[in-house]
Amino acid sequence: MAQINVDGGRLIVEITGMNRVWALKKRLDIPLAHVRGATADPGIVMEPKGIRAPGTHFPRFITSGTFYKDGERVFWDVRDSSKAVVIELAGERYARLVVQVADPRATVALIERAQLVS
Amino acid sequence: MVRSAAELFAGRAYDGVSIDDLVTHLGLHRNSLYKTFGSKRGLYLAALRWSLEHDVAPLIDRVSRAAGPGEGLREALSPPGGGAGLDLLLLAAVERAPVDAEVAELVTRTLDALDAATGVPDGTGDPGDPGDPDGGPGALAVALTSAVLGLRIRARAGAPGADAGRACEALGRRLATR
Repeated sequence: MAQINVDGGRLIVEITGMNRVWALKKRLDIPLAHVRGATADPGIVMEPKGIRAPGTHFPRFITSGTFYKDGERVFWDVRDSSKAVVIELAGERYARLVVQVADPRATVALIERAQLVS
Repeated sequence: MVRSAAELFAGRAYDGVSIDDLVTHLGLHRNSLYKTFGSKRGLYLAALRWSLEHDVAPLIDRVSRAAGPGEGLREALSPPGGGAGLDLLLLAAVERAPVDAEVAELVTRTLDALDAATGVPDGTGDPGDPGDPDGGPGALAVALTSAVLGLRIRARAGAPGADAGRACEALGRRLATR
């Protein structure tokens, strides 16, 4: 699970609980100017993930860590697909983040509002 | 692709269109969708802009060239575009404009253009002046634009008695005799 906040023009993604271990990542700090958009997308977990390096992947149970596909680096942290949010980035190490959040609709609204005022 | 997205968004509520729907309907890879538009909202904005430019702008042009308000109303609701072309604008006005400032700006600009295209002269008095039967500057044009949108809502709902042609004629006659 990820906790997402906006602070001083930056998007802060904190990986919580044991997922820090599975994802091998605690925190991502991204300028809002590098965030292209956010979308609630439960169906994305059915997509091929690509090559895992490094991370954890037990199909239908947990996808967590860094994956390479079609020349893109994607960060995943999803156990419950119904709560998956996709955050598209530009000019960052990751092309996109696919993370599980407590409230996908509220998270997307938070990011979109922050983009409009930034 | 953007045109297909506009058709999809015009037929269903924004929240009722999933990324799975878009990927299936547009024949697009998920990664390409995100790479090109950034998000579902990014694609929605592109689709809305496309619809306003290709469906609604020609309609506004036809309304502005109409002989009078009654004909203008008929032009707005007649094919091509007049009926279904307004659907995405209507849905955007109702469900996305209240929560998305960028959509609100696009909708407001389009409704203002439709008001201006009706060619109805402004009232003579101040806003709210009881002595001005036309309700002050712009009021009658706003009422005509609202009639166009209302008739489209009734037609889309398949409401009984929603004969847009007769309604346009009746309104046109009333306006001609004022």
